[in-house]
Amino acid sequence: MQVKMKGKEPLLEISNLYASTENLTILKGVDITVKPGEIHAIMGRNGCGKSTLSKIIAGHPSYKINQGQIKFNGTNIESLEPEERAQSGIFLGFQYPIEIPGVSNLEFLRVATNARRKFLKKDELDTFEFEDLVKEKLELVKMDSAFLERSINQGFSGGEKKRNEILQMALLEPQIAILDETDSGLDIDALRIVASGIKKIANQETGTILITHYQRLLEEIKPNFVHVMANGQIIKTGGSELALELEKYGYEWTDEMNKNI
Amino acid sequence: MHILDYITKEKVNLLTRSSKIQDFCTSKLRAHPLPKKQNETWRLANKKKLSALLAYEFDIKSSDPDIPPYLSNKKAINIWIGNTNQLNLKEKNWEIKELKSQEIDDLIEEKLKSSNTEENWSNLLNLSLSSEKNILGIKISGDNLPPLQIFCSSKSNYFNSKTLILFIDKNTKANILQVNSGAKNSSLSLSTYIFLEEKSKVNHGVISSGNDKSNILNSLNIKQNANTDYNLGSIQFQYDFARFEIDVNQIEGNAKTKIKGMQVSNNDEQNGTFSKVEFNGPNGYLDQLNKSLANDKSHSIFDGSIIVPKTAQKTDASQLSRNLLLSNTAKIDTKPQLEIIADDVKCKHGATISELNKDELFYMRSRGLTFAEASKLQLKSYYQEIIDSIPVLEQRIEFLDHLLN
Amino acid sequence: MINENLVNNVVAEPYKYGFVTDIETEKISKGLDEGVIRLISQKKEEPKYLLDFRLNAFKKWQKMQEPDWANLGYKKIDYQDIIYYSAPKQKEKVSSLDEVDPKLLETFDKLGIPLTEQKRLTNVAVDAVFDSVSIATTYKEQLAEHGVIFCSISEAVKEHPELIEKYLGSVVPASDNYFAALNSAVFSDGSFVYIPKDVKCPMDLSSYFRINSGDSGQFERTLIIAEESSSVSYLEGCTAPMFDTNTLHAAVVELIALDNASIKYSTVQNWYAGNENGVGGIFNFVTKRGKCLGKKSKISWSQVETGSAITWKYPSCLLIGEESVGEFYSVALTNNLQKADTGTKMIHIGAKTKSTIVSKGISAGQSNNSYRGLVKMGSKANGSRNYSQCDSMLIGDQASANTFPYINSQQPNSEVEHEASTCRISEDQLFYLQSRGIEFEEAVSMMVSGFCRDVFNQLPMEFAAEADKLLALKLEGSVG
Repeated sequence: MQVKMKGKEPLLEISNLYASTENLTILKGVDITVKPGEIHAIMGRNGCGKSTLSKIIAGHPSYKINQGQIKFNGTNIESLEPEERAQSGIFLGFQYPIEIPGVSNLEFLRVATNARRKFLKKDELDTFEFEDLVKEKLELVKMDSAFLERSINQGFSGGEKKRNEILQMALLEPQIAILDETDSGLDIDALRIVASGIKKIANQETGTILITHYQRLLEEIKPNFVHVMANGQIIKTGGSELALELEKYGYEWTDEMNKNI
Repeated sequence: MHILDYITKEKVNLLTRSSKIQDFCTSKLRAHPLPKKQNETWRLANKKKLSALLAYEFDIKSSDPDIPPYLSNKKAINIWIGNTNQLNLKEKNWEIKELKSQEIDDLIEEKLKSSNTEENWSNLLNLSLSSEKNILGIKISGDNLPPLQIFCSSKSNYFNSKTLILFIDKNTKANILQVNSGAKNSSLSLSTYIFLEEKSKVNHGVISSGNDKSNILNSLNIKQNANTDYNLGSIQFQYDFARFEIDVNQIEGNAKTKIKGMQVSNNDEQNGTFSKVEFNGPNGYLDQLNKSLANDKSHSIFDGSIIVPKTAQKTDASQLSRNLLLSNTAKIDTKPQLEIIADDVKCKHGATISELNKDELFYMRSRGLTFAEASKLQLKSYYQEIIDSIPVLEQRIEFLDHLLN
Repeated sequence: MINENLVNNVVAEPYKYGFVTDIETEKISKGLDEGVIRLISQKKEEPKYLLDFRLNAFKKWQKMQEPDWANLGYKKIDYQDIIYYSAPKQKEKVSSLDEVDPKLLETFDKLGIPLTEQKRLTNVAVDAVFDSVSIATTYKEQLAEHGVIFCSISEAVKEHPELIEKYLGSVVPASDNYFAALNSAVFSDGSFVYIPKDVKCPMDLSSYFRINSGDSGQFERTLIIAEESSSVSYLEGCTAPMFDTNTLHAAVVELIALDNASIKYSTVQNWYAGNENGVGGIFNFVTKRGKCLGKKSKISWSQVETGSAITWKYPSCLLIGEESVGEFYSVALTNNLQKADTGTKMIHIGAKTKSTIVSKGISAGQSNNSYRGLVKMGSKANGSRNYSQCDSMLIGDQASANTFPYINSQQPNSEVEHEASTCRISEDQLFYLQSRGIEFEEAVSMMVSGFCRDVFNQLPMEFAAEADKLLALKLEGSVG
């Protein structure tokens, strides 16, 4: 076990990551390091590998790591099951949260929250205690408690699904949150609600990765680092001004850079 | 002589052609001249009507009636089963060629071998009666083929039997309309075999129209190789006893099948469709809709099974049986069935039986339409979906009018 | 891909109720003839009308053939190799629980059905049936105050002959089918319920069937009569020890609902299903039928089927009274080599009758799970409606699910609607749950129970919890 210096040791360290699905290599050497308190943005065109990266961090079984590693709090997580990663504090906000008919949202949230609390050696919450907690968190994303009675994401609008993701994030209190296109499909009001939720949950102890291909969300949440991804690699890293450049010049600009690599 | 006597009395042999297959089928029929009792798809068959169907003398000759105006299609090549003219048409991009009797036998034998269930009685009966005169086999190859219309008819006071084999070559795209017409007081046994070779596509229409006291046993056997598309649009009406059997086998999966069929029954007619779609490989697709319309004292039956064995992963199959019951004395039986072993599949089926939508009727009547007009409009929309999926048919409006009157 | 083995492990839970109670029993030796039937009747001190009923049924049974149409394919049953009467030896007449053999009380204790006054369940009256006889019925006196009769059928034969004579066999005639005829000839015990006019039964009634002896068949008979404007909720539970031979269970249940009466009949069936190689287990051939005789009467069946090597069961409703309502809610879980062929028949006879069918089948292992149903709209069922929904979930690629709905309509002014679908647990759904920290097996179990939600919602409170637990149990196991 390494001795960790809080605030200095990286939370997430991805080095030289190659990954593939069905023999198709998608990630071709990705390096990213996230330290506590940092907000990173990963931008890039559709199909550049952004979503794949997020799924690999969360442990999606369809992808295979061919080379390189992902360290979380200094430990390689490759052999961990998705639920073990979630319990230890990795959170993935899905681009397309799946609908699960019949499974109650409330029950799901409670079981998930308690699994995380168990890991953190906190007391598990009974139904009543949990309802109090969830009602408090509902405020964050301005959701009605009627949401809880429904099946997971079933019949939710695009905006409701995304808010449900942020609600889960609020309940699970992850150390690192990867939010995959959380801004897509949201109108401006919903975007503000989601953004303010994210900001309230993020703190000096946690890390956040925002995956997006628009500047919009980054106007609400200012990142410390912006990475531009193309063809399975990070081709440029900079400060928040990089996002503005992208907005201005478009992705053709990155295509040019990609050629030069 | 009664058709069954004809087959079961060994001494009678008026048939001009005797093949291994014919002998095989005849011997099977001699052991069991009628459909087996345990056979679920025959359970609801009206026994009286079935014996009436069989109570005719056999004849090879049939009358070839005029083509009704709603079927006129100037571009189409018209072919009559039973017409002895050697067929051999060739253009730059396509070819239609008659198969030799050995080729026909080989194909049927292959089909008989490949079917793992017991032999279909209608086909046994049909093949027992096959001769060079009433069997037609053609090979179709190429692209940009003109539409084909294949006619088949029965003769009054006789039992006619016709067999059609269509071999669709690789990469071929064909539009084929089968037109079956029953004369007054007649029975027709028709078995059609279609072999779709790789990457071929067939749009197939079947219009079966009867007449006073005519009967039909129509058996359609489809064998689809990989990457083939088979689309069927069919309608069957005005028979005293009609039975349409559809047997589709996607032998390697990876194929698409669409079936849109309709049956109409009036008076005390019995009209049924019995379909079986079997997926013997992965990634198969089926979209099936069967509509029925039962009026007066008639009886309409739909029995459709979808079989998805273990090898057929990622099958996507849906089947819908929609039925309209138009009178207090008519009867509808519908039995959609799913048999599934593969676990990674999407299968659904559904069935509804109802009458014409009352709210819609009321709405139209409140705008001044008579009850009859309003119901006709509704029926029209009910038919339309099926008629639209019958290829080659050009005079759709006329055909619909013919059906509605 | 989902790890199939993992999922399969999850659904393979050892059977908890497989113990045998060591108790001295009185048995009639193997085999069946008229003499055996006379002996059963004599042992039960039955009046002549009942002996005639049995003999008549036996004659019919002898002429009938065992059906083979269900999708089951089981080993032929030797009807001469079965014991038709087996009862734990105890005093001639048991007047109170104190006189019941403690071993029997202990057995039911172990099954979670305590019978003694101190421990008995607070809001459910229980009739406990052990092999061929009813051991005890709780809360009888309290129920009697409301005029409710709840006792064993043997007792009812003696105490309420007018009701038995009028209704026994009136819903399921002896000639109905092979197994109903057999049951009518040899039935041993079962429960009888009578709810008088205008009475809402103050507590849930429950029968618990326990097969203990390995070579005896169980042939119980249940009869429930709900008079005008009365209502009752009845629960049925069953377990059996693990034997490597097959035990035959052929029950008959008859329900009668008069004007405005309502009967809710719930079953959680957990017979021993045989081992993973398909050895042993109960053959469960049951005829359950309710007659909605009165106007606006209602019969609702809900069942959770997890046990039995073979199940052949179609709880049905005859909807005779105008505006009567029939319901069928079913969850059937099969694993290993289990075979279940279950469904319902909704026979619409009266006008404006309504029926709803919701069936959920889950097949795992190499099991075979079939839904077979019939919806019939008779020519007088003007304005009637049916809605059916049959969903199957397949776990692993060895299991099979079949759907055989059968619809027959002779009434244009009626509507029948049937929908069916088949699905598997999707990898993406599993991943979503796992990525929120939920363990694999819990995620599977959540999804299975979510799949069954529509049906669980129909079960009485105590039962819903039990059913959820039972499925979870079946789904729990050693992962990895």
